[in-house]
Amino acid sequence: MSQPPEEGYDEVPAPDTDAPAEVPGEAPADPAVSPEEDWQRLDRRMLLLGPVDALKQFAVPALIAVIGLSTSRGSFEGWLLIPAALGAIILGVIPWLTTKYRFTETQFQLHKGLVSRSQVTAPLDRVRSVDLESSLIHRILGITKVKIGTGVDDTQIELRAVSQEAAVELRRRLLQRRTTSANAAQAQPVEAGELADSAGPVDEPEAPDEPAETLAAFDWSWLRFAPFSLSRLVVVAAAVGVLAQFGDSLPIFERENIEGAWEWVRSIAISLIIVTVIVGAVVGWLLISVIGYVVQWYGFRLTRERGNLNVAAGLFTTRSTTVEEARVRGVQLVEPWLMRPVHGCELAALCTGVGSGGVTPVLPPAPTSVGIRVGHDALGAGDLGTLSVPLSEHGPEARRRCFFRALRPPLALALVFAGVAWWRDWAWWWPVGFAVLALGLGVLAGATAYRNLGHGLSTEHLVSGDGTFDRRRTVLETDGIIGWVVAQSWFQRRLGLATLKATTAAGSEYVAVRDIELDRAVALADRATPGMLTPFLDGVPSP
Amino acid sequence: MSDFGDPTDAASAPATPPGPSAVSPALRDPANQVSPRAVSYWMLTSALGSILVLGALGVGWYFWRERPWWATALLAVVLAVAAVETFVAPRIRFRVHRWEVTNEAIFTRSGWLSREQRIAPLSRVQTVDSNQGVLMRIFGLAQITVTTASAAGPITITGLAEDVARRTVAELTEITAAAEGDAT
Repeated sequence: MSQPPEEGYDEVPAPDTDAPAEVPGEAPADPAVSPEEDWQRLDRRMLLLGPVDALKQFAVPALIAVIGLSTSRGSFEGWLLIPAALGAIILGVIPWLTTKYRFTETQFQLHKGLVSRSQVTAPLDRVRSVDLESSLIHRILGITKVKIGTGVDDTQIELRAVSQEAAVELRRRLLQRRTTSANAAQAQPVEAGELADSAGPVDEPEAPDEPAETLAAFDWSWLRFAPFSLSRLVVVAAAVGVLAQFGDSLPIFERENIEGAWEWVRSIAISLIIVTVIVGAVVGWLLISVIGYVVQWYGFRLTRERGNLNVAAGLFTTRSTTVEEARVRGVQLVEPWLMRPVHGCELAALCTGVGSGGVTPVLPPAPTSVGIRVGHDALGAGDLGTLSVPLSEHGPEARRRCFFRALRPPLALALVFAGVAWWRDWAWWWPVGFAVLALGLGVLAGATAYRNLGHGLSTEHLVSGDGTFDRRRTVLETDGIIGWVVAQSWFQRRLGLATLKATTAAGSEYVAVRDIELDRAVALADRATPGMLTPFLDGVPSP
Repeated sequence: MSDFGDPTDAASAPATPPGPSAVSPALRDPANQVSPRAVSYWMLTSALGSILVLGALGVGWYFWRERPWWATALLAVVLAVAAVETFVAPRIRFRVHRWEVTNEAIFTRSGWLSREQRIAPLSRVQTVDSNQGVLMRIFGLAQITVTTASAAGPITITGLAEDVARRTVAELTEITAAAEGDAT
């Protein structure tokens, strides 16, 4: 939302234009057409939460005003805090008074704002995802925040406080209406057989009241993967950077202290300190990574219910994301290099019309076998094996490309190093040793890259494997492919290779099959999307 | 082909479209060339860029008193690259750049040292734009960009004659307007 800070609070939102999937003019006319439901307010408990949130926003300016006035007048102007508190309460209450929502036959409508009113109208068949998020305070109050993704763009419709029961009901209606209205306008609101529509890979029609099917749940033994997952390392690195600033002022690193009579003792002390720091870093990392894992993933559950996938997790702030299963166009299984020795992986779903770049993690770092099983489950349909079956290799030319690609940077580095060594008159074995090391690593990288490279095609999915140290396998529904790019660099052309990209609206916008022979690339694309390439093909005997 | 689970066997061959295993299909050339004026346009744009870079480098080279031999060599290399880009590349480009619009899809090829072929079915097209820079206007050229729901999928045809571009945009708009669904 492009709202200025003080309005980000919600209630004086920008004009209607930034509302997702909006149909201006329809909302005012609608009450007359289908007065089917009354407007509903947000939960009353928001009256407790609102002022606190508001206070957070202008606590600092208020304090500055108080202190500023107090110092200039020479007396404590505490009375100023009273209007500040009153202001917070009013600002916290207004959103509750001015926000209302309801369902009509085909739409979800949200009205809010005091000064400039905004009316958001989301057609129910455009609702693709619903997120429920509750922080610790929300949970104590028994309320939750609801975000509705309409797939038009990344903006989401947000309801700031709804009671937990109402939120679950809201989600059920938002996603269930979508399914039935997509089927037929006349369909009964709750009709189990209708839910497994032809639009998506909904493989088992479920009775409306049937409990959700659990695909995966939190397992304490998965904690062993936490230290091998580097996604949290960035935070730690920043913290270490801050600490290092203080490290400079520690006396032990000062030169005068090292030299002198106690040099010998101190040198031992330094090596001791270094060992301590290393051990401390490892222990600290273990603690941080494990705690982070638990905070983020505690209570994790991946379930399938009425053609929707739901991911729920969180120790303090719980988050529950529900995506229409037909919008899950594929999955990506990544085995980061640190996790490969311990057989761990990370799994994400590639979705269309969902915020956050369309790549939604659906599993915490977990055993690869679990990742493969859950991935297959999430893909649905009778398409087993796409994540585990060996891929077809790309041949000797592709292997040459892999080595070439992997050796180029170390070769350049080795040359630069040799140049510097020659310039500075270093001993000959320095550059030679460096070159051997760098090129050795390059050869290793090339070999690994080729081993990970491959492609496959099943009846419904295109599969691409790649990655050098991290091993990636991406599976994309062929129905989700909306175009092809056949790219050849100059080097690829000389070897008769190409990079085939299947473009898609899901995930990272395309899935690439690298260094595949040109004719195989065209054949693969042709078979993956029958008919799309036909008018442009040569060498096909016309029927 | 040894793709797993893939209908290469005779049993499941009917599932694949017209040409089964025997002849491996290849993409043919797209039907239309771009306007011959595009060559002059590419030459001019490339020349203008080269003149800027070479001018700056040349001044530096000229006023460098004790310039080493490799400075001269470097300048010569840059000069050669600029010459190739200005006089050779546009002609190759003209031979490579081709495009075609059918009732179902758009197909383009571009590049000179590297090549890129792009195909998008018109049923998945979201927007059709045409634009014309100042230099393009001098040569009476225009450029068409067709986007799909994928950020990786936009297709650009440069160097079209104005009237061809206008006709093509009208045609594309008509076809895509008729398509249904949300194109994802």
